[in-house]
This record gives sequence, structure tokens and C-alpha cells, in this order.
Amino acid sequence: MTETARDSASWLAPMELDPGQAMRTPVEATASGGRPGGEAAAVLGRLRWPLAGSALVGAIAAMILLGLAFDAANLLQRAFAAGAVFGALVVALIAVAVGTTLKLALDEWASLRRLRRIEGLRSDAERLGTIAGYGEATRFADSLAAFYVDRPELVPAFGALRRSISDAHDDGEVVRLIDRQVLAPLDHQAYRCVVKGARDIALATALCPSAALDVAIVLWRNLRLVREVATLYGARPGQFGSIRLMKRMLTNLAVAGVAESAQHVAVDALGGNLAAAVSTRLGQGMINGLLTARIGIAAMHLCRPIAFSPDNQPSLRKIRSELMSVPRQVL
Amino acid sequence: MRLTKLNRLSNAGEWAFDRVSDLVGNLTETNLRLGVTGLRRAGKTVFVTSLIDNLLKAGRLPFLDVVASNRYQAARLRPHPDVTVPRFDYERHLAAITGTQPGWPEPTRGLQQIRVSIRFVPGSTLRRTVQPLSTLNLDIVDYPGEWLLDLPLMELPYGVWSQGVLDLAERPPRAALAAAWRHWLGTVSADLRADEAQLREGARLYTDYLHACRRSSANLSVVQPGRFVEPGDLAGAPLLTFCPLPDTGREHRRESLWALMEQRFEAYKSEVVRRFFVEHFSRLNRQIVLVDLLGALTAGPGSLDDMRSALVASLQAFRHGRSGWLERLIGGRIDRVLFAATKADHVAASQHGNLCNLLDLLLSDARRAMRFEGAQVGTVALAALKCTETVKTEHQGRQLSCVQGTPVGRDKPTVLYPGEIPDSLDLFPDEAARPYTFLDFLPPTGAGRDGRGLPNIRLDQALNHLLGDYFA
Repeated sequence: MTETARDSASWLAPMELDPGQAMRTPVEATASGGRPGGEAAAVLGRLRWPLAGSALVGAIAAMILLGLAFDAANLLQRAFAAGAVFGALVVALIAVAVGTTLKLALDEWASLRRLRRIEGLRSDAERLGTIAGYGEATRFADSLAAFYVDRPELVPAFGALRRSISDAHDDGEVVRLIDRQVLAPLDHQAYRCVVKGARDIALATALCPSAALDVAIVLWRNLRLVREVATLYGARPGQFGSIRLMKRMLTNLAVAGVAESAQHVAVDALGGNLAAAVSTRLGQGMINGLLTARIGIAAMHLCRPIAFSPDNQPSLRKIRSELMSVPRQVL
Repeated sequence: MRLTKLNRLSNAGEWAFDRVSDLVGNLTETNLRLGVTGLRRAGKTVFVTSLIDNLLKAGRLPFLDVVASNRYQAARLRPHPDVTVPRFDYERHLAAITGTQPGWPEPTRGLQQIRVSIRFVPGSTLRRTVQPLSTLNLDIVDYPGEWLLDLPLMELPYGVWSQGVLDLAERPPRAALAAAWRHWLGTVSADLRADEAQLREGARLYTDYLHACRRSSANLSVVQPGRFVEPGDLAGAPLLTFCPLPDTGREHRRESLWALMEQRFEAYKSEVVRRFFVEHFSRLNRQIVLVDLLGALTAGPGSLDDMRSALVASLQAFRHGRSGWLERLIGGRIDRVLFAATKADHVAASQHGNLCNLLDLLLSDARRAMRFEGAQVGTVALAALKCTETVKTEHQGRQLSCVQGTPVGRDKPTVLYPGEIPDSLDLFPDEAARPYTFLDFLPPTGAGRDGRGLPNIRLDQALNHLLGDYFA
């Protein structure tokens, strides 16, 4: 093959090259970074607690901790004065208390880190889906597989994924494949959880005689639903983690338009079935159920490592029809 | 006169009966005719073979929704109800590709047809309650690509066609190939009384010219009429003894050379072209247009223009548009078309986007016309059989995306940098340089031995565009 002269220096004539030097495609390591959203985070950071507020909380917490430490030391002295056996017992109790506190804190920290990892995966997936590139998406698949390493039920899905990815797929296609082959079954399970949660709440509110108990049940079941969904997607939130998740989701509900409007909910509930209009309790149950469903779906949106695309978003339709059958079950 | 009327009436009756029986059949099973359209060497036979193989084994179709959602039951080959057309020899073609010495199937010489029946679980709950398992009968026709170029003839009178062919034959690179035939044209007069021998001689020289066009390195596509080079079952028939003549502008006498040739041309149109069209193309529901862009790019600008005009002319014959449920049942219009740049495995994967873009740009007029009629049009870069792997290699300090595979006629794999496909129509900026070299590669050894179907590039996405809504 002859090299042909051409104006631009970057142009290359077609040629054959030495097969010995060729490498398989996904090879070059690119710096993972340049995540979008850094600026937004900085802006949001400014909206955080004022410095004085955190100083106040920190000081009070430190005082309480110090007080506890002094008390513990005091207790220890008195216990040893009473006898070596008491002393040993108190030492053991303190050790258990400190150990469990540490463990809980570590768990919370780990769960927060997992949530953050999911956010990282989501922004990676978004970037890969919009820019047509090659070779990076297989690394994304690897990091997703690493994220789900403790989920044996996903191993076959990852195996199928690995078989269907070829070197001809671009990054966007690989992300779509992951979406279909690994996450779609999870979506299915999560959706079933949401349907079940919504039904439970609708039934419970409809049957529960006292309003206070009602509120408690709704809160508890919603928290459980969020944890279930988050665990399915691998977020595994701890107690505080799920409360945080819940908080973020409530803001999400208002902001992201997951709930079209409250009046829509009412129409769904009231117009859908005569029984609902007849019995206020039933109507309340359906509204609560629909709200729960919305919260569950918001949790799905929040915990999924790849954002939903317009054509695979979970819809409220099935949940509505499920809820419409609640009055019949009650009556 | 009366007899022909009666004949026509009975034809209409037959047609109506056919439609009614189709309709009844449609209530239980859906029939879908997929038109695989493509010029010579566009890869129709390999496409159909790979399509059938992949549908039967369904192991490499992750983007076909019905497979991805686990509703795909199975597919199998079933005898076609139309028993007069030879069956597409899927097994032999597959054996050629997957044998110990992999090679490409022989070019198609005649018309062939095959039916694949696909069973699937319907997606909608309503349909599931009525019919727990649905069946889709996919009918595919394979034919020599040369015949496709006959379709534009249907609209042309003899004089206009002749003028077009003669104009084309005057210009390079065809002028040299047509020398003998054009010399003969100089020796005869269209107005004089002619005999059979003269007709035969003209047709022979013209056929030689067409064969020369086909063989030429310029990879010429406009070769009309197609039966001259691929006669099928018509070899030696008097129908094929005519050729274009220069129009003298005078009234042509009966029995003159012109009159005889015109008569045969009209007979060719009605007996061969129109029949071929009515029997196989007029009832298509979906169409995929396979375009071998890379072959045309390798051959040069002349070949590319030639191919484009051939494709645009042939596509005008088809009826595109939105079809309602009634039209769907009786087979009215083509409501989805997919343009496919074939042999995408001949370039590195990073070039597929540009390849697809280029096809879009080249056929934008045809696409617009189809979309205007209401059809859904898509474009994809695909390879029915993936023969190469994309590799990276270094050359003078630069990372190049290349393809690795065994070229036809060699026994050792090579790494080829075929040139970069630009993202605009600025394809041949420098006349002297050869910017592209796309080698033909052999099928990979051991293809399809894993039982998941032949390896392919985006066949599943193509199928999803073409058939997706039938699996709803």
C-alpha cells in the first residue's frame, strides 16, 4: 500500500498492518472523572446549614459525649470499689455499648457510600448514553457487576449480558443492554413491592378504626417500602439512611413531577369507583395507597443505577387498577 | 374480446377468493411479507440466511423486545402455501457459511421463497386472554438483485428508456464497454424491415455490454433489463431479444426493427416485470433496503452515483404509506422501511455512526418521499454475519481503529485500516488518492457453533424496527 500525499497531515491512506501488534478494543484506561453535576452540588452546598448552626449542634453533642464519658468513668470507679466482679461487668457493658455504636455508625456510613456509588453510576450511565463512544461501557458494566457482587441471583443476568455484548456495540447500546438484561428484572420485582405496599396501606387505612394508629401504620409501611425497594437495587440503607432517602424522595415528589398533582390523585381515587365516593374511609385508603405508590416509584427512580428512559418508566396504571379492587375486597 | 373479459373476471374472482382465505387465515395467524430489497451483491442471501438462523435460535437478539421480555416461544420453518415458487435453500447456504472451509453462498439465480413461523406470548393482557400464544408467519422472498432494476421499467415507454440507456452508455466508464454494441447500432437502421437474426444479434451485443458492466471494476449498478444477465427460467426466450435503439424521430413502420423491439420490450414489461412485481412485491408489509455502501465507496464516485440512481429508481415502484387495519389484513402498503448499510463489520465499530449518517445523506430524498406518504423510516448500519473484530493498533505513534479478519482468497488473518468514513458527503476530496479500501472478508471459522445463531451486528435492532409492533 502506498502512502498518498494529501493536504492534511492527519490523513492516512488505507493500509494493512501487522496482526501481532493489534489489541482488543476496550483497552485504554481513561481517567474516570469529569462527572457532571459538580457545580450544582457546589450551589446546593451553599444552601446547607449555616456554620453557627453546625457549631452549636457539634458543641452540644460533644458536651453530651463528655458527660457520658465522665459518668462512665465515675461508674467504673464505683464498680471497682465495690468489687472486681462488678468492675469487669461494667467494662464489658461499656465495651459492648461502644462497639455497637461504632458498628451502627459504620453501617450507616457504608450505606451512605453505597447510595453515593449509585449516584456515580447513574451519572456515568447518563454520560455514556449521550456521547457515542466505544470501550468505556464495558468498564461501566464491570463496575456495576462489582457493585452487585454480593447478589448471587444476578450472576446469570450478568453472564447473559457478557455473552450479548460484542465489540460492535457502542457505549449507548451497552448501557441499554445492561438496562434490559440486568435491571429490568429488578424493576419488575420492585414494582411488585410497590403494588403490594400500596395495597397494604389502602387496606389498612380503610380498616383501621383509629386515626393515630393509621398515621403510624402509614409511616411504618412507607419506610419499609422504601427500604425494600432500595435494597432490591442494592442501596441497602440503614435506619438513618432510609429516613434520609425518604426526605429526599419527598422533595423529589414535589420537584420532579412524579406526582402530577394532588387533585389528580383525588380524581383517581374518587372518580374511579363509586364505593370510594360512598365511604370516606375507603376513599382515604385509596388516596393513601396512591401516595404510597408514588413514594415507592420515586424510590425506584432514586435508587436505580441507570435512570429510567421514557419507554420503560414504571407507571401508576396497574397500581390504580389494583387499588380499585380494594373496596370490593373490604366490602 | 369477450373471452378476455371473462378471463379478467375469473382472475378477479380468484383474487377475491385468495384475499378472503387470507383474511380467514389472518384471524388465527398473522402473515407478514418482508421485502428484502437490494441490488446485486448487497448481501440479500446472507441477510436472509442469518435472519432465519437467528430467529430459529434466538440467542443473539437482545434488542428484539419480544426476546428480551421472555415472550418469544420458538420459531420454525414451515412450508409456504404458494407451492409454485422454489424454497429458499436455507440449509445449504448455512452449510456454506458454517462449514469447515467457510465461504459465501452462491449468488441467487432465481426466485426463492421461505416462511418462518414464530410463536410468541402476546404482550397485552387482552390479547393474552383471547389467545395465549400468537403465531406470526414471516414470508421472505430472495431473488437476484439484478431483477430489482426492472421495476422502474414499468413506467417507461420504449423510446424514453432507450434514450436513457444510450445517454448513459456514451459516458465513461461505460463508453468503452459499450463499444461493440454501439458500433452495431451504427450499422442498422431502426426504420427498415428487420428479421429475427438482426434482433438476436443486437440483443447478444447488448447483453455482452451488460455483462461487461457487471464485471467492471467500477462496480456499476444500473444494468437493465435484469433478466438479460440473470435470465432465471427465461434463458433463450424470444422475450429477451431486444435492445435500446436511437430514436430517429420519424413514424416507425410496422415490422421495422424499432417496432419489433418495442413490441418485445412491452411484452417483457407486462409478462416479466409486472408479473414479478404483482406476485411478489405488491403485497409487501415491511421492507428492508440493503445497501452495500462500502463496495461503492471502494470502487469510486462513479459507482456511488450509479448505485444511488439505481436504488432511487427501483424504490419508486413500491407503495409506501400508513396502512390501517384493513389494509394490513389484505396487504396494502409498506408502512415501515429500514435502510441498512450492510457489511458494517468491514469498518471499525467507531465508524458505524458515520456509515449510518452517510446512508441517510445519500438517500435523503427517497426517505423523505416515503415519510411523506406516512411510512416509518429508519436507518441502521448492520452486518448480517460478523466476520471481523475491531482492534486497536499503533501506527507511527497514532492509535488506529482497525478490523481484523481473514480476507477472501487468503488463509491468514490480517489487520486492515480501511480509511475513515467522513461525516459529510465530502467523500472523494482528492481524485487521485484512493481513500478507502474495504476488503471482503471470509466468514469466521466456527460461526454459529455455540448454537445461539450466527454472529451479527444490529440484526436485532433491525428486526425490532421491522417487526416489533407485530409482537405487541
